Amino acid sequence: MVLSAGQQRALAVALLLALLIAVAASLALGSAGLDLQLIQTLRAPRVGAALGVGALLALSGLAMQVLLRNPLADPYVLGTSGGAAVGGLLALMAGASLWLGAGLGALAAGALLLLLTRSALASTDDASPRLVLTGVMLASMFGALATLLLALTPDQQLRGAIFWLVGDLSGAQGGLACGLAAVAFAVWLMRTDMAVDRLLLGSEVAALLGEPVRRLRLLLLVAASLAAGLAVASAGAIGFVGLVVPQALRQLGVQRTRDLAWMSAVGGATLLTLADLVARTVVSPLELPVGAVMALVGAPLFILILMRGAR
Amino acid sequence: MSAMSARATDGSAPLLQTRNLALHAAGRCLVQGLDWQVRAGERWCVIGRNAAGKSTLLRALAGLTVPSRQGQVCWLGRSQDDWPAADAAWARAYAPQQAVDRFPLSVRRLLELSTVRPGALKADAVLVALDAQRLADRGVMQLSGGERQRIALAQCVLQGAPLMLMDEPVSFQDPAHQAAVARWLAQLVAPGSDSALVLSAHDVNWILRTATHVLALIGDGSWRAGRCEDLIDAALLSQVYDCDWREVGGFWVAN
Repeated sequence: MVLSAGQQRALAVALLLALLIAVAASLALGSAGLDLQLIQTLRAPRVGAALGVGALLALSGLAMQVLLRNPLADPYVLGTSGGAAVGGLLALMAGASLWLGAGLGALAAGALLLLLTRSALASTDDASPRLVLTGVMLASMFGALATLLLALTPDQQLRGAIFWLVGDLSGAQGGLACGLAAVAFAVWLMRTDMAVDRLLLGSEVAALLGEPVRRLRLLLLVAASLAAGLAVASAGAIGFVGLVVPQALRQLGVQRTRDLAWMSAVGGATLLTLADLVARTVVSPLELPVGAVMALVGAPLFILILMRGAR
Repeated sequence: MSAMSARATDGSAPLLQTRNLALHAAGRCLVQGLDWQVRAGERWCVIGRNAAGKSTLLRALAGLTVPSRQGQVCWLGRSQDDWPAADAAWARAYAPQQAVDRFPLSVRRLLELSTVRPGALKADAVLVALDAQRLADRGVMQLSGGERQRIALAQCVLQGAPLMLMDEPVSFQDPAHQAAVARWLAQLVAPGSDSALVLSAHDVNWILRTATHVLALIGDGSWRAGRCEDLIDAALLSQVYDCDWREVGGFWVAN
């Protein structure tokens, strides 16, 4: 359960190596083989988007787990990504910016979740099931809204919209923006170290220990929602990265937010890059939406982690 | 900043003082007109029937939300409402009846996070005193109820605040650990120490070994406070617990 300093260093090196391998493989492999121009114009931006989006999703999951004091929290499971998707679709239909719509949608969904579970979070008793179920209901509500909006989408845009909704990196934009946001998010989390870790003990305990709980939780909510919104705007609603990566790191014995933040970012970037590699090579030249691949990998992985944790 | 405002308080003031404190819950008056002082070196035990309001009182004393509170609670001579949150952590520590853990933190990390003002006490020494040294590298979620409770006491003490509030600190302890905790608390807050203790418990004989003073909640809002030897007798115990008591070989037994 507890990692020695040496084990933690080994884990850090392994994570960085995995990231390098994933990036190299993603740049090198594909239906057209090694072609420098193709790598520069097509694969590199796509890998960049996968890295940025993966890191953002993992960080968003990490922050939501602290915010809601629940290791099962994740922007996808609890409806934040769904809110971003609905916001994005609405913005597209209204001819407004997808980024703005997704950002606002994510913020609204995050705030709604926090509002609905506020009393549960303020109490000291175990409110986990209620919180997760509320989030799951929000997620399915936003899912239904997105489906309704799809029904109104013109046929020629429908396939693209569906792919975007389930998560697709093929035309992903904004890899650089996502990457920079992820770095800023990770650095902020690393600098709050003690305060965020104390929130894990509960709002009341953190307040007793002198932490500015309200402000911290508001910042976490805004940061986690915006990160999810940015990720959705770039690549659609991809699940399980935020759930699996921080949870796996915790189960391996990483405890401090200082370590968890950068390790989650690197782990999320690696996981999504690998999932995208699979999505575009496994039935090449056809491409699968990476969100579906991620769910196929992520759901069993998560069940495995749950079983391990229950032992 | 914390050090300065802690110093700015009146050094001779009691660590804890209530003025006309009244608490209500679920339409009942738990306590009213409570004028009470806790000074450094004192170990107080709050006694009362189930649902008499011991936990609510301890929460109010810690500055946590309670259903209804009137009157004033002061730490170190300053109203608790006037303490900034960061400074309040230097004044009082609180151990809840039962901690709720959701994340796999190690005991060592938990104690690090609980330390606000690193003082003379070191985590390792506290763990040894609580017979918990072998738990240091265990995950908090793997502990038994009794083990977790002793770790909660360690958290409370390591915070470094002079006023320590503990809600039923030995409810899950076996007899040997109850005795060990009693000895340890008496050592920790001895006459001449600059800290004080307010806890709640039910075992009258354990209380007599542990506490110097008792605050008895009668159940109808009235209360009695004083030194154990002055206050605890068959009449008071009968009034508090609504049953007969007798002393057998120096121990109190309820009928």
